[in-house]
Amino acid sequence: MRMGLSLERRIQVGFGIAVAIIVAVGTAALRSTEATVSSAHWVAHTLQVRAELEATFADLIEAETGVRGYVITGDTTYLGPYQSARRTLSSRLAGLRGLTSDNPAQQRRLDSLETLVATRLERFQWTIDTRRTGGLAAAGRAMIGGRGKELIQQVHEVVTGMEDDEERLLAQRSATLQARARVARLAAWSGALLAIILAVVAGALITRELAGRRRAERTLGETQRRFQQMLASSTAVIYANAVSGATFSPTWVSENVTRITGYGPDEPLQPTWWLDNLHPDDRARVLAEMPALFAHAQLATEYRFRGKDGAYHWVHDEARLLRDAAGKPTEVVGSWVDITDRRRAEVSLRASEERLRLLVGSVRDYAIYMLDPEGHVRSWNVGARQIKGYTESEILGQHFSRFYTPEDVAAEKPAAALRAAVASGRFEEENWRLRKDGSRFWADVVITAVRDDRGALVGFAKVTRDLTERKRAEQALRASEEQLRQYATQLEAANKELEAFSYSVSHDLRAPLRSLDGFSQALLEDYHDRLDDTGRDFLQRVRAASQRMGTLIDDLLSLSRVTRGGLQVTEVNLSALATALAAELQRSDPQRDVRFAIAPDLVARGDPGLMRIVLQNLLGNAWKFTGKRSPARVEVGSMAHDGGRAFFVQDDGAGFDMAHAAKLFGAFQRLHASDEFPGSGIGLATVQRIIHRHGGQVWAEGTPGRGATFYFTL
Amino acid sequence: MHDRSILLVEDNPDDEALTRRALAKNNIQNEIILARDGAEALDWLFGTGPHTGRPAVPELVLLDLKLPKVDGLEVLRRIRANPNTRLLPVVILTSSREERDVVTGYGLGANSYIRKPVDFGQFVEAVRQLGLYWLVLNEPPPHPDAA
Repeated sequence: MRMGLSLERRIQVGFGIAVAIIVAVGTAALRSTEATVSSAHWVAHTLQVRAELEATFADLIEAETGVRGYVITGDTTYLGPYQSARRTLSSRLAGLRGLTSDNPAQQRRLDSLETLVATRLERFQWTIDTRRTGGLAAAGRAMIGGRGKELIQQVHEVVTGMEDDEERLLAQRSATLQARARVARLAAWSGALLAIILAVVAGALITRELAGRRRAERTLGETQRRFQQMLASSTAVIYANAVSGATFSPTWVSENVTRITGYGPDEPLQPTWWLDNLHPDDRARVLAEMPALFAHAQLATEYRFRGKDGAYHWVHDEARLLRDAAGKPTEVVGSWVDITDRRRAEVSLRASEERLRLLVGSVRDYAIYMLDPEGHVRSWNVGARQIKGYTESEILGQHFSRFYTPEDVAAEKPAAALRAAVASGRFEEENWRLRKDGSRFWADVVITAVRDDRGALVGFAKVTRDLTERKRAEQALRASEEQLRQYATQLEAANKELEAFSYSVSHDLRAPLRSLDGFSQALLEDYHDRLDDTGRDFLQRVRAASQRMGTLIDDLLSLSRVTRGGLQVTEVNLSALATALAAELQRSDPQRDVRFAIAPDLVARGDPGLMRIVLQNLLGNAWKFTGKRSPARVEVGSMAHDGGRAFFVQDDGAGFDMAHAAKLFGAFQRLHASDEFPGSGIGLATVQRIIHRHGGQVWAEGTPGRGATFYFTL
Repeated sequence: MHDRSILLVEDNPDDEALTRRALAKNNIQNEIILARDGAEALDWLFGTGPHTGRPAVPELVLLDLKLPKVDGLEVLRRIRANPNTRLLPVVILTSSREERDVVTGYGLGANSYIRKPVDFGQFVEAVRQLGLYWLVLNEPPPHPDAA
């Protein structure tokens, strides 16, 4: 393979060489053997020729001996050898002629031998005939004069020549045979050696090849096992169909078909299995797609398929058409995945998308719409129509910059907004926008870049709110806040003035009164004698007026004090406070018989100092207005009122006419003559002011001559 | 050395006359040193200005609050800040019952706070009690200069 020859090719070449060598060695051996056999034949041939020649010579010698015996004895029995020699010699000569037929030189010698033999035999016959007719002597002479000895000599020479020739041929052939045999041995040895080497090499190669093959088989087996396991654990079923014309016949399906569909491994190989279990509603569609498989050599489709348990599953089927060299479709292979879960997810996704679409579509207070990456409107909801005035058909495909004011468009704000949304994912601003009718509205705009799974920009989601009303409200609020600030400033100034005023009142307004009263008293004391009764009475009136004025000033200051300063709200025990105040009142005028009934555990949340002023005024009033009744009764208690509790102070004193109830709580308002019941007319005004500061209510009920009840809540 | 005088700090001549009358009516015979404003009062007490080297050492100071030049509360502050007058009994005698005056007055170390009533009878009574308490019953603190 390194040399560019495949293993098979090398083995073939090796075997070719081996066969060639074996053929060559075999041929050489065969030829050597043939030569050996031929040489042996030639040796035998030579020996046979020599034997025949010697037998011929011997026959002649015996025939002569017999003839001689006859001649001598005349006894015919001596003629036997001669008779048999006459028979054998011709056959021997014929045999020799056959044996040496390939050798012209020997043939020629044989010709002369035959002549010699024939001549000798004729001579014998003549001698015999002579003995028979002429007797012994004639026969003896015939014999002697018959050149017999010369003939035998010639025969002997011819025979010897033939024998020598044969010997020479034999020697020559033997030499050739030995040379050939050497070559054959060499060829045989080297052939055998080569064959052994080749056998060893081939054996090594084959062993190696077999080991490689076993390894490859093992690897293949593992791969196949792995592949099988993979297939078995895969969610994709792999299948193959043979195609003949337009009909498919299933040939193979991966084992996991059982796990996935529930069918046994053989069932899918039934010819109608697939079509039988294809959902009837999908059958026509899927079959209609089949021509596409032939047109494009592949097809991906989805359909419902009935499992063994009878339930239909959605299946994604991807088939591929294979063709032979001639382009004829032969096989369809494909894979098959259960996508029921994915389908279900898709369906629920579609449903939720639909819900979302309906939701977005029905939102009225927000314009929610999509832009493509260039800023053209792609969707529109009711809110968008409501806020911007365009209908869906008017606006789809239009660029969103038309919602911007001309100055913003000139400043290229629409493009800047999209750039900002792309850069940071989100862009938000509040600004003026245009409606279809050209009017402006204050909009809160959020632009969000929308990207697909791979991060590519697919467009923008825009949510716009019409904040014009809020903007107006904000402006109004700011204006009224400003107004309020001004009021507060003015109020503060007024308060400061009031404080300075009451401080100065407190100090300076009382001083002249003191002088009036003090010096009137001094006059009354030091000039008592020079004043008559009327003069003294006038001075007493000056003093009384000064003192009343002093009380008035004090009450006014107290009234102004309750409106200033912070509220220190804590829990106040009204029962304890009222009891202490009642005791104080009784100490101030022990002659009075007033019975106090104070409910225990009256607890309220308020400023303790101010609560004291409230009870002081109410109990003081009750004490004052029951002045003409003895015994009098004053009750302090509480009752349910309007989901909470109301406290009350009730007396059985002078009472009042309800027609004047509204005047009760006004400053300086009095319902009784001051000589009847003294008072400044500021006490209830102070009470009302304190209760109102606590966020409560105060009211009164009364009947003239029957008493009055004052209620308050906190 | 106590000279048993009373330093009356009062700008209003009427009030001065009434106070003198009330004191007289109660037979309080102590010498009355009169200061018409806060600055004058301080000159008396610290021996400054016209009174250089001759500080008065009264037994009691009757101090009005609303005074020209230096007001009463400031006078009180200076009295309490000076080691010589630190322990001097000071009674605030004024028209005002404003809470801030009362609180500030006591905060600065006033010994009493008495509001002048409009009713002169009540005023005489108040002065009687005041004189009885501070000039008769009360044991004055030793004068820092007392040897």
